[in-house]
Amino acid sequence: MLIRMNDVQWCFSQVKGAIDDDVAEADIISTVEFNHSGELLATGDKGGRVVIFQQEPESKNQPQCRGEYNVYSTFQSHEPEFDYLKSLEIEEKINKIRWLPQKNAAQFLLSTNDKTIKLWKISERDKRPEGYNLKEEDGRYRDLNTVTTLRVPVFRPMDLMVEASPRRVFANAHTYHVNSISVNSDCETYLSADDLRINLWNLEITDRSFNIVDIKPTNMEELTEVITAVEFHPNQCNTFVYSSSKGTIRLCDMRASALCDKHAKQFEEPEDPNNRSFFSEIISSISDVKFSHSGRYMMTRDYLSVKIWDLNMESRPVETYQVHEYLRSKLCSLYENDCIFDKFECCWNGNDSVVMTGSYNNFFRMFDRGYRQDVTLEASRENSKPRSVLKPRKVSTGGKRKKDEISVDSLDFNKKILHTAWHPLDNIIAVATTNNLYIFQEKLN
Amino acid sequence: AQNTFSEMMECVFDAQNLISISLRKIQSSRTQRGGIKLHKNLLVTYVLRNARQFYMSKNLSQTQRTHHYEDVSAVRERQDYFELTGSLTELGDDFYCNFTGVESDTWHCGAHQPNGQPAEVPHQDASACAMLSPSDSDLMVSEACWSCADKSSWELPILNAQANQKTVLDLDTHVVTTVTNGYFHSDCCAQSKQPQGAQCYTKKRKMDTSYHIVDPEFYLPDFGPVPFKRMRTDEDLHSDSDQLDSTNISNLISVLGSGGLSEFVSWQQTDLEQIFAAQTICLKHTLLTGSGWTRAIEAF
Repeated sequence: MLIRMNDVQWCFSQVKGAIDDDVAEADIISTVEFNHSGELLATGDKGGRVVIFQQEPESKNQPQCRGEYNVYSTFQSHEPEFDYLKSLEIEEKINKIRWLPQKNAAQFLLSTNDKTIKLWKISERDKRPEGYNLKEEDGRYRDLNTVTTLRVPVFRPMDLMVEASPRRVFANAHTYHVNSISVNSDCETYLSADDLRINLWNLEITDRSFNIVDIKPTNMEELTEVITAVEFHPNQCNTFVYSSSKGTIRLCDMRASALCDKHAKQFEEPEDPNNRSFFSEIISSISDVKFSHSGRYMMTRDYLSVKIWDLNMESRPVETYQVHEYLRSKLCSLYENDCIFDKFECCWNGNDSVVMTGSYNNFFRMFDRGYRQDVTLEASRENSKPRSVLKPRKVSTGGKRKKDEISVDSLDFNKKILHTAWHPLDNIIAVATTNNLYIFQEKLN
Repeated sequence: AQNTFSEMMECVFDAQNLISISLRKIQSSRTQRGGIKLHKNLLVTYVLRNARQFYMSKNLSQTQRTHHYEDVSAVRERQDYFELTGSLTELGDDFYCNFTGVESDTWHCGAHQPNGQPAEVPHQDASACAMLSPSDSDLMVSEACWSCADKSSWELPILNAQANQKTVLDLDTHVVTTVTNGYFHSDCCAQSKQPQGAQCYTKKRKMDTSYHIVDPEFYLPDFGPVPFKRMRTDEDLHSDSDQLDSTNISNLISVLGSGGLSEFVSWQQTDLEQIFAAQTICLKHTLLTGSGWTRAIEAF
């Protein structure tokens, strides 16, 4: 059922993270991801930590709001490392987290930094064995001469403990910086991509992977593009896409050949010559690609826009949404302060009717595909009263600035929303500002 | 006509500014944590290429060549100019390393040879650098590219192949300058400014972070897509040994054919004079004093 986006009122629900303005670099959020049921929400940060929030069951006392998300588990996923051969430091920053579909009581996720992917098992322990025959309570073994009876240990309830343990470490397979990972719908394999190569892994096997895409030229002086993102098709286990810094998306079929250097389809929109500038190559670089849940469409994000592509049409996107077109005249300044290199992500809602992406000044944007409407909202502490409805924001682009509008020159480019996530089933969204995670919910009456 | 000219000069100034900014980005990326980001630096080189092509084409469209540039071979013979050379793979390795003291024995300073012999400094053919191939000018020919561009300038013929000018970034002052005739004072290396441990390059070049010498990273033959140094990977290590022969290498990069300072200052636009005077250094004066150029890099 399509819900008109403008009928949805978004309310503030929660905010996680430090309140003070002095942001510790390690606390900068670098990835946000709901699991497949939406019950768990994982964040990764620059300090290599993963924090998982769990949604509380809906309370009968408060039927008008869905359960809150509270910290479920926190662990250090990656540590800084030093590559002595190349004399360079490997950052511990978590670039991506991807959940595996749940198969048993435990939850599994993949997290990656620039070089190493890890499979983490998150499991609950709510009982422990007690009454050992041969051991004391503290674990020391008893003198066997004192053992006169046979006692079988029994499980007794204990306070819930959530444990995160690394089950697999997939290392030494990437020369360049890993930018994305994607789990296959077969739940057995996954892809990892760096700037020039894509590797296929089996989740059980860590000592080898298959390189299936390699765009490194023989002569590096001829390098013209890099891989920026990769994603498996949501239900075709043989199909994946990867995006490039040149604004192209290539779809590959693993059945066609072992090496997928030749694409099955190439999606590219011709450049508008009227918009040519010094920075054309930068702003056409794709920072994120996401399949729709249906698998029929895919969405790409470049610096100024979001594009929806029909997999059956390679020549141009079927929809294009301008995120912040008013920045086009500011590209030189944005180049100078490095903002032009910001990599914004994008996401679909549960039924693929609305897409969302971030912007500057802690603004984020939603585009309703069916009704062709868009809205700009803001994640800020000022709008953080419980269940307060978010007011749409507007950036004034013309000469006259209306009341409540904000001018382009007043935008704070240090406040950027790069990572957003949408609950797979409900209208609950997670929006990451620099070091805070905001959770907004649909207002339910 | 005056407005068009001013706008165009503003664009040229912007292009020059962009070149300077871009070079600084590349320089700072070498020391950032996590290693050089290939993606970002590739994008920066596109900006460099675009700005450089625009800058060069605008310069050439405005002036007649006066042909007082020296022959390339004469310049080569002089051998007392400061160059940074090295193998391509070394540079590729640098590109992927932080500057933390990795030594390379393939680096030569052209200016300082203890035995008086001219250094073996293979030099990219200046004429190749100066050529603006038509296919590349097509990139910028689009009519609507630059709203301020003088459109007729795009149809100008090929540049003077003899031009021998370079755009350099002085890492001390962060000033971008156009260097005519492209040579530096012979004892440019031996400066009291040099921090301890940064020896003049005779045979070895120490990659000392305190010294901040930057290798010309980007080798640009005829204006193709912006090339990159080949990354050195573990498997490349063994095949590279024969490439370390310094006589086989050429990686000097220059933007030749840029208009030259004198042409700007001769115009009667006072505001432009101020802009460029503030941004540039009197070349001959600098050459005589020998200051600052020890840490200049030749860009592109």
